[in-house]
Amino acid sequence: MTSGRTTHLLRLLAVTAISLLQIAMAQAIPSRPEPPRLVNDYASLMTVAQRETLESVLVAFDDSTTNQIAVITTTDLEGYGIADYATRIGLEWQVGSSKFDNGIVLVVKPKTEDSSGQVFIAVGYGLEGAVPDVYAKRIVNNVLIPAFMNNDYYGGISSACTILMKLASGEISELRESEDDSAAALIGTIVVLILLFIILAALFGDGGSGKGNGGRRPVIYTGPVITSGRNYGGFGGFGGGGFGGGFGGFGGGSFGGGGAGGSW
Amino acid sequence: MKKGLVTLIVVGAVVLAGFFWVKNVYNRMVVSDENVQAAWAQVENVYQRRADLIPNLVATVKGYAEHESATLENVTAARAKATQITVSPEDLTEESIARFNEAQGELSSAIGRLLMVTENYPDLKANQNFLDLQAQLEGTENRITTERMKFNEAAKQFNTEIRRFPDNIVASMFGFEKKGYFEAQAGAETAPKVEF
Repeated sequence: MTSGRTTHLLRLLAVTAISLLQIAMAQAIPSRPEPPRLVNDYASLMTVAQRETLESVLVAFDDSTTNQIAVITTTDLEGYGIADYATRIGLEWQVGSSKFDNGIVLVVKPKTEDSSGQVFIAVGYGLEGAVPDVYAKRIVNNVLIPAFMNNDYYGGISSACTILMKLASGEISELRESEDDSAAALIGTIVVLILLFIILAALFGDGGSGKGNGGRRPVIYTGPVITSGRNYGGFGGFGGGGFGGGFGGFGGGSFGGGGAGGSW
Repeated sequence: MKKGLVTLIVVGAVVLAGFFWVKNVYNRMVVSDENVQAAWAQVENVYQRRADLIPNLVATVKGYAEHESATLENVTAARAKATQITVSPEDLTEESIARFNEAQGELSSAIGRLLMVTENYPDLKANQNFLDLQAQLEGTENRITTERMKFNEAAKQFNTEIRRFPDNIVASMFGFEKKGYFEAQAGAETAPKVEF
């Protein structure tokens, strides 16, 4: 009787421990890559060369249209459904621009001996019109899964990205200029401030003959400020550095659960 | 005379500080409250989206599975019931959300049963229209999950804000009340599993 109760208690404890563990594990969505990358091959399904090719294509697409397509491969969905996982990555990493919410997240969980393969295309709010669920589903069923069944992960992912790029650029296609614009605006402000400063300094210089030198020094001093301002403006798009080939970073896009997936 | 002036200034400063504190706290709560209401609007949107898909789904299935009229009627009835229950954004209490959730949960299980039945009709399963509808339905369920999650997060933030001391004084002063959450309810496990 007592031992029965003890085993019951033990079992209860074990169940609680396991479920607590699951909850703890369920929180662990991979954090935003640093430096930012669009292709995150955590499951090592591609060769380094393939990864870099894909990354450069997607970065070029981001630069020319502001649409961001992030590719994530993982062997562990951390207890989430694949749709939930992909959407949470999109939300947490903020794939896409905040202006258009034009991000797409492609998550691939490869087939293993004891689990089926799963894939999901999560579409940001702004691209739900360009890539409706039905289209996403067709890409999954007709492009991704057939390729994955042949173990051709790179082939499937890259052709899916090609189609997604075609669909997305039909809806939103803007040169990535907003950052340059703000950089230009910043430089403009700095220039205006400097001009104002020079005028004021000149006025003060005229007013008090003794302050002539003091007034000029700040003008000389502002020289480097202009250059550094330009430099930052120029490098804004290349924040990634590293091997990414110049991905500027994720932009604040939001997701609402759109997209489609499948398993094999 | 001078002492009186000093006292007046001190009292004035305290009152002013108090006013600004209340103002800041109140305004922050208003923003959070708005966030919760906006999140709720999104929740209702995605449920409406699902409700809008159902007539089409029912019509498509009917064409292939005449014998399943009982299941089809169940879906239509559950849909009618679910769309009747709406919650005003000012009344996001535990009970009203639970009521909403229950009605939508019933619709979820009715759809689940319908999709289970369709397994027996290979012609229907090969129909492109039906496949598209399924993809849309699946996407809508994902959207529902996402918007519910976002709503719960917004509600949690609001509830934390109004309960935190000393902000809770302001909350009770202006009658801010705790918002309800979406609980995973009994029908959730049998929610339509539209994977093939």
